[in-house]
Order: sequence, then structure tokens, then C-alpha cells
Amino acid sequence: MALTLLAAAVTCGFTQARSTGSRLQAVVYQSPTELVLSPDGARLYVVCEGSHSLAVVDLNRRTVIGRVPVGERPKGIALSPDGQTLYVTNHWSDTVSVVNARELRVTKNFPTGFGPAGVTIDRTGSTLYVANSISNDISVIDAKTGSEIKRLAAGRSPHHLSLSPNGETVSVANLLPNAGPFRTPPVSELTVIDTKTQRVIRREFLPGAATLRTVAYSPEGGFLLVALLRPKNLNPMVQVAQGWVITHGLGMVRFPAGAPPAQVLLDEIDRYFANPYGIAFTPDGRYAYVSSSGADVVTVVDARALAALIATASRADLKNYANLLSLSARFVRKRIPVGRDPRGLAASADGRFVYVANRLSDSISIISVDSNSGGQSIGEIYLGGPKRLTALRRGEILFQNASASFQRQFSCSTCHPEDHLDGLAYDLEPDGLGRNIVENRTLRGIAETAPYKWRGTNPDLETQCGPRVSKFLFRSEAYRPDQLRDLVTFLKAIPLPPNRYRRRDGKLTPAQQRGKMIFERITKKDGSPLPKMSSCLSCHTPPHYTSSIQADVGTINPYDSPGFFEAPQLNNVYEAGPYLHDGSAKTLEEIWTIFNPNDKHGFTSDLTKDQLNDLIEYLKTL
Amino acid sequence: MRGALLLFCFTAWGSLPWVYGADAVASPSVPSSPPGVQEPRGNLPIYRHWENFSVGDGLPDNKVFAICVEDDRVWVGTENGLGLYEKGAWRIYRPADGLAHRVVMSLAVDRKTGDLWVATLGGLNRFSAGRFDTFTQLNSGLSNDVVYAVAIQDEFVWAATAAGLSRLNTRTGEWALFNERNTPMHEIWCYNLAVNDGKVYVAVWGGGVLEYDVATGRWKDYRDPDGEMEIVLFRDSGLIHDVVASVSYENKILWAATYFGVSRYDGRHWQGFLEKDSGLASNFVNFIKARGDAVWMCTDKGLNYFDGKTWITYRRKAEGSEGEVKILTTANTTSLTTPSGPANNYILAIDFQGDDIWVGTAKGLSRGIRTREEKLGEDTRRSR
Repeated sequence: MALTLLAAAVTCGFTQARSTGSRLQAVVYQSPTELVLSPDGARLYVVCEGSHSLAVVDLNRRTVIGRVPVGERPKGIALSPDGQTLYVTNHWSDTVSVVNARELRVTKNFPTGFGPAGVTIDRTGSTLYVANSISNDISVIDAKTGSEIKRLAAGRSPHHLSLSPNGETVSVANLLPNAGPFRTPPVSELTVIDTKTQRVIRREFLPGAATLRTVAYSPEGGFLLVALLRPKNLNPMVQVAQGWVITHGLGMVRFPAGAPPAQVLLDEIDRYFANPYGIAFTPDGRYAYVSSSGADVVTVVDARALAALIATASRADLKNYANLLSLSARFVRKRIPVGRDPRGLAASADGRFVYVANRLSDSISIISVDSNSGGQSIGEIYLGGPKRLTALRRGEILFQNASASFQRQFSCSTCHPEDHLDGLAYDLEPDGLGRNIVENRTLRGIAETAPYKWRGTNPDLETQCGPRVSKFLFRSEAYRPDQLRDLVTFLKAIPLPPNRYRRRDGKLTPAQQRGKMIFERITKKDGSPLPKMSSCLSCHTPPHYTSSIQADVGTINPYDSPGFFEAPQLNNVYEAGPYLHDGSAKTLEEIWTIFNPNDKHGFTSDLTKDQLNDLIEYLKTL
Repeated sequence: MRGALLLFCFTAWGSLPWVYGADAVASPSVPSSPPGVQEPRGNLPIYRHWENFSVGDGLPDNKVFAICVEDDRVWVGTENGLGLYEKGAWRIYRPADGLAHRVVMSLAVDRKTGDLWVATLGGLNRFSAGRFDTFTQLNSGLSNDVVYAVAIQDEFVWAATAAGLSRLNTRTGEWALFNERNTPMHEIWCYNLAVNDGKVYVAVWGGGVLEYDVATGRWKDYRDPDGEMEIVLFRDSGLIHDVVASVSYENKILWAATYFGVSRYDGRHWQGFLEKDSGLASNFVNFIKARGDAVWMCTDKGLNYFDGKTWITYRRKAEGSEGEVKILTTANTTSLTTPSGPANNYILAIDFQGDDIWVGTAKGLSRGIRTREEKLGEDTRRSR
């Protein structure tokens, strides 16, 4: 929905159990996201993000037989080759929980980088690879001792990784596009690591692609697929009625290196399948099952037909295929309805079943694979938790699902993956091509940061998400009043993740302390008073470091309408780049080194480079 | 200088002059070698064969400022781009490819990750599997875009710039700046770096040598005790000169190359080397790099090797393509004419690839190829 909201900090927890009042504290949904099968196929291990636990499912009885509490907000899972040990990443704890698969208990926790998401293990069971989505790197960890061997530079926000069938490489899907030139289409990166040298050996760049969710190798290893979006964010979003504003598809990277990567769409001309997420191949490589978390559907892709299509395509064909909505008819065999918000998938070793984690149904869908038709859903395994939907849960379902938009082209979460941002600037207003393009903003912790939008034109979330979304984004009927209430309930409950730069004891490092003095100063270095509104605190006031003050900070560009901007909140600002209303500042430094020549965005011209660095170190702690 | 060459070298491990030269009589007072210094063992690195590269061979530019060997790959920093020599072929990277600036001054490979760090006159690059990341004074905490040197210390990347030192924590993204405000840095023109064994040494152009102890975070400065810019008065009492172009730290020995000679420091004693009384080809030393117990010095008049006993100078003859190798020991001087020599005698950089050496000059890149028979005493033509 590309809300250009001004976010701020609220510290409510992620789960509904932690988020609001006592009435909701009993409501803990499981929210399964990822899953892995035991080697004998008898058990399914399911990461339950909402209950901060690992659920163990007996597939013969189709019931949950155990739960293992892990760290905060678990994300990814890997199973050792011998099937004895599970590794679960804890996104908020910055750890990997090591789980004894037989005893179903956590034996230890390994530290990781910031925001671990995906995890995989090499064929020998000796090395873990963890995607750190906040520190933008990959931790290479000794699986026995937990010591970190090295840290590899990834793309932006690495989210998922996968080991090749021959064990020689690990590929990483990076959720956010790499920083690129201003006002250019996104370019996302797929990072390839050699497991022998434990070094990055290849970076495959996917032009026009964003939100790379997961990656999966074909069983024979000839190619991999990565779930992605193809946003036309620099085109006016109001053109949604003409279609093709945000499309959803797959990237294909071929091995060995040399062949150009391909992109194809899973969508159809008049129907879209929003937010592709998980991918699982059948063991024979015939089919790839792809979940669409915004469409509650699993698409059955004829992987061989797709590979043949790409193998015979010229470069011109490939360029055309990337945006061709009719192409899916040539490789999509079936759409299988599943539960709400389907995410991770796992195919059984015998190729008979595919299991799907339905995050907002708290269930696992079982798809019976049929070599002719592609298969069908034959049942669901309920993972427990309340079946009653709270307002917050209903709001989250609305947030994730694309059915409210014209032709189901996108949902709120399409542009706000992980309730956050997608790193893109959007042309939202019907004011002409290329005018008033604004950077997307996070939704984390926005409850108390009204008014919303960069211009502050929406006084509350009800306005933001009601008629405005209907008119400018979804081009559909507005939400019913009860739906709007639910959606806003959810948005207000989106928590702020823990700050990675603030020490647990609350003390600031020397650099942060110096930066705090600069942030709070009211005089120039020569002792003269700062002009009114030139102190950081004038506009960025605690606790969310925002305010309703509108200001001209000297950043209006020739394509903007005249006016002023709201002061954005600064909580966890290190995750919020690029910066300024149009995303023109790629880094925090650039806000002042490039875009503040006249001291309109705070008085900074008397700062040395050391002091600017200190200021930034402090900003990261807010 | 063939024949009657008489060189004096005041050693750190003895107070009497150490007599070099073909005509010199071996003095009974010649001191024993200090701990860790190798005796000549008959396998000195005598390079008779040189493979030279120029723009015509694919080199990005003939002025070579930096070389970094990574196994079978040779990275070369030039005045007009970054070059990679691999499997007999060159690949060139320029600003259009993402290089921060065409002038590449220094290179460092992170041995863990394989990432190449590139110091340029327009910022710092990380080159990782085909992707250039650029850090400048505008988009990052780097103190200045004129980056003369880069070095890796665990997860930290150090950059020597025209405005002090910058240190990037690659895990947190935090930049720490070191300059006259928080270190004993007398000048902020930091020209070279050496990281090894828990120390970071900085060659400060006009400011001596700075030492950073990784464990304690403490700084220490080493200055020329006579403070004279034109003459060397107290050679073995401290750093030989404050205009330091390069440093190297190996086996607990600090080597400092200045434009007025070379200094060696073992943590207790300083020893200076000058052209006039050692085998040093020139007092104007651009770059220095120790390998084991030996040290290589890149001067404006040739390449020097010194292992504590023996000096070797590699040069290209003034006419033709032949090279000359001059070997200076306590006993004699030997001069060889070799079939080929370095591309040029203005030497700017060196790195090692097995027994071979790669040498950057002001007019081309050279690879010194060492073959088994090239040992002292074999097939040599003595100067006397």
C-alpha cells in the first residue's frame, strides 16, 4: 500500500499476547513461517513466529506433538544432515537456537549478526550460514562451537538462503534492493557463496526486481528460483487500473555462471498473485511449488517447462519475459488454494506431499502431489492457539492480503514487507509523471507519530488507510468501517524491534555520548546561540524523535510541489534508509554532507567530520 | 658502484662500524647477527629473469602504485585504474565500473572474506565478487577522499588519508577517526599502514611513525630525534626522518621507509640505513615491505633486498633491456648482469607470489621470476 507514513517508536511486543492490554494477553497465535521435514519424513518442524517457539508435528497423526520455546521472533530453520539438530534463528534476539531434535530442547544459543533470518547448514553439518537482515551480512558459524568464523558482505537485508544440491554453494536472497542511483528502477542482488572457500563468489543482479523473499535450487542443480516482485514504483501508482503497477514473479539464475538471469511473472493479465514467498521443488525437479502470501494460493510451476522456455530464449526474449503477464500460461499448471498468508514450503523426500505454512491460519496445508495435474490440497494440520480472530489479527489479514486492490495487484505488505519498508520511492499522487515522488517509510512503531505522510496531510491512520488508499492506491471500494478499524488496530500494534546500537545497560559509548551532546546542543561551537529550529531537538523530540512541526529543510527538488515536510521519527533510523522525503540521501551522512549546504536541516556546518560521525552514532541509538 | 666500495653501517646490535665492500678486510669486530636475522645460506633471491608488463600488454596504466597478490591472482593499482592479472589475462576496472577514482594507491585483501579493499584518490572501495561498494567523506564516515593506504585488522578496515586515519568496523558500520585531536599525530597526512601482530603502524608524511596497540587502544609516536629535515644527525637514536613514506612490521621488527633513508626498530634499538654507507640504492624510499626476516625497499634508483647480512640491489641497466644485480655482503660485492631487468628503476610497490616477486614501477609492472639455479655463487660473474 506504500503508505508514506511517518513512523515512530512504540514498544509494544510483536505478538498480540504482548502488544496491548490484558484482554489480549491471552491471545497468542502461532504464526508459522518456515518449516523443515525430518529425514524420515515423519516429522515436520515448524517455526512459529508468533509464539516464539518451534512446533513439532507428527505427520502420521497430523498433530502437534511438541513445542520448543526458542528466542524472540524466530524466523528461519535448518536441520543438520544427520537429522539430530535443528538450528532456529531468532530475529530479535540476534541468536541461533540449537535444538536437540530428539529431546526437543534448546541446548545452546549462538550469537549472530543483527537480525538473523534465514539459516542453512553445509553437507558435513559443520558450518552454519546465517542471513543477518539488519547488519546486511552473512555469519559463517562453526556449528559445533558456535564461534563465528567470518562475516561476509551480502546485499541489503539478506532474508533467506539455500544450499545447492551438490553442497558447493549457498545462495542468498536479499529482501531489499541495493542502493542505486536516485530515481532509477531497483536492482536486487542474489549472493552466491562457495562453501569450500566460504567466500562470496558471485553476485547476480536482478534489474527491476525487489523484495527477494526466498531462494531454492532445482534438484539437479542447473538453476535456482528466487521469489521476487517487479514494482513500477516510478510510474504513478494511480495507474493501477491499467494494471502492471506491481507484478509478482520468479527470478531464475542458471549454473554454472555465464547465462544471464531471467525473470518471469506468476501473474495473469487480469489477475495477480501477490507476494510470492516460499519455493519448494519436488524431488524429481518436475514441479516447483510457490506460495503467494498475498493471494492465499500455491502456484504449481512446471519447472521443466520453465527451464526449457528460458533455455531457448534470446536476450531480447528475456527482457520481454520479465514483464509479460501472459507468459505464466506456458509454465503454470495449477493454482491451489491454501490457508491465509502461506509462507514456507517443504516437499517430502518421496515427492508425494508438499507442506505449506499458513502464517495467518496457524496451520499447515498438505498438498498431494500429482504428476499430471500438479496436485491438490488434501487437508490442514492445525498448530494450536486461538481460532477466534481478534481485531488485531483481522487487521493483519487485511494488511497481508491483496484482495482489496484492483485485480488483487498488491497488498499493504507488498510495499511494507516485514511491516517495514521496501527501500523504494513511489510516485503516489495523481499530479503528473515524476512529480512528488516520495520514499516509502516503515510502519514499525507508528502509533503515536501522527500526522502521517511526508507532508503531514493525513491526521490519522483511519484517513491514511481509508479513502486515500481506496482512491490513490487500490482503486477499489473502500474498506468497510469495521475493516478499517481492524486494519488500524493492527497498524498501531506493529512494534518497534529492539535497537541494535543501544547497549543493554543503557549506557552510551563515548562516541554516542559525544553525539548526544551535539544532538541536544543549543549553541554553536563558538558559543553563540543556535537559531530557533536549528537544534535537532526542535523537530525531533523524544520519545519518537518526531513532531508535528513542518519545516523546509532545504530538500525540495524541482519536481516537488512547494511546501514543507514533517519531521520523520528517528527510532531505529539505521534501518530506514534511504533518507529524506525523496530518498535522495543514500546514507545518514549524506543528509548533512550533501543535502544541507545552507544549514536548513539543523545547524551542522560547524561540525568536524569526527563530530558528524559521533552524531550519527548517537542517532543509531534512538 | 663496482670495485672499491666501502660502506659503513652502524648496526643496532653493535656499536662498531660494520664494514662492507669488496675491498674491505673483514673486521674481527663484526658483530654477530641479532636474534631472528638469517645468515646467508646460499639461496639469496637473485632474480635474473623479469617479465615486464605495460599498457600494451593489458596493464591499466604504466605507473603502478600498488600490488596485492592473492594466491594466483595479482591485483595492481595504477594511475589509471585497477588491474587484475589472472591466468595470463588482464581485467581492468575503472570509475565507470564502480571504482571510486582512477588513481589507485593501495590494495588489501581480506584473507577471510576474499574482499579486496581499494584505496583511491577519490575514496575507498570494497570490491566483493564483482560488486564495488564506495565509501567517501560524503556518503560515509571516512575522513577524507584522498586515501593513500588501506589495511585489514580482523573485522576493521583502516584507511590512511590526507586528513588522518579512518577505521571502519565492518560489522557495525561504525567509523572511528584518528587525528591530531585524539592521537599524538603531528601531521594528519597519513601515507601508509602496516597491520600485524597486534599493532597498527602508520607512516605519517612529516610526522614520523604512529603505533597503535590493538589490545590496549593506546597510541605512541616515533619521531626523528634531531628534528632536522635536510640532514641526519642522530641516525641510530630514533627514526631517521619524519617524512615517512611507508612502514612494515614483521617478526616484531618495525621498518620505516623515509625519503631520507630507512629505519629499523626492534622495540629497543633503532638502526638507520643510508645510501652512503649501506647497500641501500637510494635514500629516497617509496615503499618497504618485510617478508620473514628480510626486507624489500622500493627506491627511486632500484629495488633493494636486505636480510640483515646481505644487501641486493636490482636495477635495469641504463641502456637496453638487461638488468643488473648487485650483491653486497660483509665479505665482498658481487655484480651480475642479467638477461632482463625491472621495467624501470623508479620502484613504487612490491608483493610476493611464492618465490617470485611482483614489482610496481613508474613505467610498468615487473615480475621477478626466480628459478632454482639462481643461487648465490652459481653462474655469477664476480665484480673483482
